Amino acid sequence: MQDSSFVQLFPEQASTFAWQVDALYGYLILVSLVFSVPIIVAIFYFSIRYREREKYAVPREIHGSMVLETLWSVIPFFVSMSVFITGAIVYFGQYTPPDDAMEIYAVGKQWMWKFQHQTGQREINDLHIPVGRNVKLVMTTEDVIHSFYVPAFRTKADAVPGRYTYVWFNATKPGKYHLFCAEYCGLNHSGMIGTVYVMEPGDFDNWLSGNAGGETPVQVGKDLFENKLGCASCHAGGPQQRGAKLEGLFNTEVHLVGGGTVVADEDYIRNSILNPASQVVEGYQPIMPTFKGQVTEEQLNGLVAYIKSLSPNAAAAPATKKPDEKAPAEKKPEEKTPAANKAAK
Amino acid sequence: MSAHSHSDKFVYHEPGLQHQFGDMGQQEESVSLGMWLFLAQEIMFFGGLFTAYLVMRSKYPLAFASGSNHLDAFLGGANTLVLIVSSLTMALTVYYAQKGNRNMQVGLIVVTMLFGLTFLGIKAYEYTDKYNHGLVPMAGLNRKVKANAATTEHVGLVLPGETTVSASEAKPGAEPYVNPYGEFQWHEYELVQHMMDKQRAEPSGHYLTYNEQLTYSTSPGSLVLDKDKFRDKVRIFFYIYFVMTGLHALHMIIGLGVMAWLLWMAFKGTFSAEYFSPVEMSGLYWHFVDIVWIFLFPLLYLLGRHYVHLGL
Amino acid sequence: METVGAIEAGSYGTAKLNYLNNGSTLKSWLLTKDHKRIAIMYLISVSAFFLMGGLYAAAIRLELLTPASDLFETGTYNKVFTQHGILMVFFFLIPSIPAVLGNFLIPIMIGAKDLALPRINLLSLYVYWVGGAITLWALMQGGVDTGWTFYTPYSTTFSNTYVLAVGVGIFINGFSSILTGVNFLVTIHTMRAPGMTWFRLPLFVWAHYAVSLIFVLGTPVVAITLLLVAIERVAHVGIFDPALGGDPILFQHMFWFYSHPAVYIMVLPGMGIVSELIANFARKRIFGYEFVAFSSIGLAVFGFLVWGHHMFVSGQSMYASLVFSFLTMVVAIPSAIKMFNWTATLYQGSISFETPMLYGLAFMGLFLIGGFTGLYLGALGLNVHLTDTYFVIGHFHYVMVGGQVIAYLGGLHYWWPKITGKMYSEFWGRVAAMLIFVGFNLTFFPQLILGYLGMPRRYAAYPPELQVLNIFSTAGASVLGVGLTMPLFYFIHSLIKGKPAPANPWLLPGLEWRTSSPPPTENFDTPPVVTWEVYDFGDESGLDLEAAKREAAALTA
Repeated sequence: MQDSSFVQLFPEQASTFAWQVDALYGYLILVSLVFSVPIIVAIFYFSIRYREREKYAVPREIHGSMVLETLWSVIPFFVSMSVFITGAIVYFGQYTPPDDAMEIYAVGKQWMWKFQHQTGQREINDLHIPVGRNVKLVMTTEDVIHSFYVPAFRTKADAVPGRYTYVWFNATKPGKYHLFCAEYCGLNHSGMIGTVYVMEPGDFDNWLSGNAGGETPVQVGKDLFENKLGCASCHAGGPQQRGAKLEGLFNTEVHLVGGGTVVADEDYIRNSILNPASQVVEGYQPIMPTFKGQVTEEQLNGLVAYIKSLSPNAAAAPATKKPDEKAPAEKKPEEKTPAANKAAK
Repeated sequence: MSAHSHSDKFVYHEPGLQHQFGDMGQQEESVSLGMWLFLAQEIMFFGGLFTAYLVMRSKYPLAFASGSNHLDAFLGGANTLVLIVSSLTMALTVYYAQKGNRNMQVGLIVVTMLFGLTFLGIKAYEYTDKYNHGLVPMAGLNRKVKANAATTEHVGLVLPGETTVSASEAKPGAEPYVNPYGEFQWHEYELVQHMMDKQRAEPSGHYLTYNEQLTYSTSPGSLVLDKDKFRDKVRIFFYIYFVMTGLHALHMIIGLGVMAWLLWMAFKGTFSAEYFSPVEMSGLYWHFVDIVWIFLFPLLYLLGRHYVHLGL
Repeated sequence: METVGAIEAGSYGTAKLNYLNNGSTLKSWLLTKDHKRIAIMYLISVSAFFLMGGLYAAAIRLELLTPASDLFETGTYNKVFTQHGILMVFFFLIPSIPAVLGNFLIPIMIGAKDLALPRINLLSLYVYWVGGAITLWALMQGGVDTGWTFYTPYSTTFSNTYVLAVGVGIFINGFSSILTGVNFLVTIHTMRAPGMTWFRLPLFVWAHYAVSLIFVLGTPVVAITLLLVAIERVAHVGIFDPALGGDPILFQHMFWFYSHPAVYIMVLPGMGIVSELIANFARKRIFGYEFVAFSSIGLAVFGFLVWGHHMFVSGQSMYASLVFSFLTMVVAIPSAIKMFNWTATLYQGSISFETPMLYGLAFMGLFLIGGFTGLYLGALGLNVHLTDTYFVIGHFHYVMVGGQVIAYLGGLHYWWPKITGKMYSEFWGRVAAMLIFVGFNLTFFPQLILGYLGMPRRYAAYPPELQVLNIFSTAGASVLGVGLTMPLFYFIHSLIKGKPAPANPWLLPGLEWRTSSPPPTENFDTPPVVTWEVYDFGDESGLDLEAAKREAAALTA
């Protein structure tokens, strides 16, 4: 990729079918030249040879030739059929994932790529894969259409909301490769880029075992709670704490400042992290800062999972709560239902 | 007609002949070809809608059947009859225009217009019914009823096959119509519930398509009905219903405008055996609008009506 | 034999009444039913839109000079390329040749006094203006950022820009195309002069016949599609938004069902013009007239069957992709036939290289690249790599600009003496043609390479290693910009100071050259009767060649 030549003409080949695409490209360049060069030579030759020598001369009238017309209809037909057939063969290779492929979930989202390995590791905009393994991405998106594109792998597929699409590849060379979103997806479309890291199998295994992303959501939440966000400094549950105690909170009724009660379900926890002042628990001051914009959806899930895990009675819930990738299409209508719809229910 | 002709050589004095044409034959051929081409583009225009309808119906057949069953096939059938008869009177108008019979022309145009208005009247009545029952697929465009005002505004649970339950006919014990924000509402889940039960009892059966098993369930394939999700699909049916019938009604209104102009022309005695192509062209348009309805009626009102006889 | 008779090369348009000086009030223009005046008003309108679209293009190339999005924020850039696309496609490329040159010339070429439905023609202009005004209003309010393709669910649900207004503007504008198409079809069927048989029609008219078929059968589908998008935005119901149960791929099918044939709307009239230019400036009957004529119809028909090749990576079934790829390859044949026939026409001709011919030859070269790159994109395996990259951008600019715009300019130069009655500067005309050819290739050839390297389209920022080629492209765009601006100046100059044009400046046999320049309001003083074959440059054409030759010899002596 970091080619030192002045102007690069071909991208690097880094997948098993990259050479096929390049060969097809070469074949087409050959076809173009075989047809174009004679035509261009003829245009130039005729232009010079038959240039106007006398004004308003009347050249010999030629109506046409059935033989020539047939020739230049039939020959291009067979040539284009050869292109069609080779193109189709390459396409079937590109779009038929092998059965033994290692599956990775990919979710497009304005404007990032989220990947989850089957062993639980999550990545955003980076994708680590081993060299020489068949890798199949199971893709969908949370919002608009995106398109997963790695030029070095010569493959691309749209991620479509509401359904799963697939793309597969087998990387042949360790290295770093561009990952693009190729389908226009809004404001930061050109920022929806990333890097594919192709690693030697040993390195990949090391990466898998050493990567912090291998934590379960509860572990992620715990880490955020105790260290990264410092929630514990107020919510650890000690006697002098400024924030409410969270142990055993989940699925209980809490009393709010200004009257009213609310069940501390997932939505309530989520809302309290994002809009702390909106539902303050009785006996506490509205001093908690908002974490809106500071935590990702993933981290929020982690926090909610962790807080749930503090209430062992409801502890069954986090386990059944699958990551949102499992059914994005089905979750969406619910999330997007306007508030007014609730009144109708 | 051709006041802007500049050389006297080309001024023709046939009535209604425009300056660019050589004779009436050429003019009639041109106008008629133009009309047919216009109708061809109309077919493509409605064709786009029919495509959307077909794709959506094949994705959500039960939702569409439920929606279809809610429509009043009697009123739709009556409208079909009205339009077919109006096509007859329109065709007779052309006949009498060719004969140069002014009185019959005027009379038949008036009758055709009355049929057109009848159609629109029935359509308006149907739309009002949808408005009253919260079936307009756009929030805010339905009748808004606050919860505490609903006591006098009872509306019965509308079962498949039953229609137009007005406030006065409300069944005792039925849910009151409450819709404070004028949202889309749907209460008829019997059909889909029935099918879902059967599908659950007999997993290999084909009571729901695979796509429906995924998209009507609380979680994909659980076969537990999620009413909100199902309601969204019925909403698509009513969306297509309103767009299709609305565009058709718009064509009817334009047709009535054309007929009003035609009436005035006929009243003045413009048309004769030599010059009647405006009547013929308007007739083509009118027949086309009728034919669109002939397709809309079974697609929107009749398909899926057999579910009524399942004894639900 | 009552023909218009020979109008020899030297006879100048007299000061008699013509369509331009027949009435000078604003009303005489705005309420005219004269196809020539309507064409002039179209000319001014599409030029304005072209200028606006061109400014957006300049902004795009400036932004892409550097890898980072530093000139604009990404949001602004998104609006810029979207508006470039919408203005150019819907308000310049689609209407330009048919509504300006087709409108002006089809009735004259077939020997009619006017189009068959002049009031419909005027209506189409007003519809175009209303659609354009609504779109411009939306652009001034803040613009739109969906890309000209309006892909759902971005356009229905996620975009916060003026999608609704622009959709309505394009919806209305579509009916302008439909009305023009209906008018052309009727006119070509019923208004031909005595003796003007189907196979005596100039190929320009054949091309417009094919285009009109697409106008009538394709445009309504995109109209209803955009209407549905607009309603979805307002009512939040979903045929296209999967969150509400809809299907985003359905939108792509419905959109491309029109928008792929729309490509042929753009390029077919250009091919018609080039057929005229090649035949007339080689002074030869076009080689294989029937094949060129029917290949236009073939392109129009097959153009309706290949829309799915825009969706090879969208998740449509592989077998659907196979069929669409096969049909796409078949579409290559009519294009190839045209290309070969044009080349063969030059053989044994008497070729002169006036400005229009330069554009004609440039078209052949550029369309060769445009057509072949289409083959690359139609090949399934390669399409997966190339789609949505700059290869696509390069390809369709080779077809749209290298094909349509070059042909449009060629046609405008060719018929400018007929339209205005004035001669433009031949020298500046040739200079501009050269600049455009060079600038064009320098702009878009690097984009083909960029595309193969994997630079995605619609990116405000790109990897730094791709900068060199982007600089080439921007440099070429500046040359192209200069070249495209020049005609504006020398055309206007010709209106004021240009030599009066003779009725037939190049002694050509087409009917349009057998009436005065500019033509009278009803096109001919005496209704023409056609007794000669199409592209007949010999004695049977009724042209007084001997007198013209003597005159030319006297001029050079």
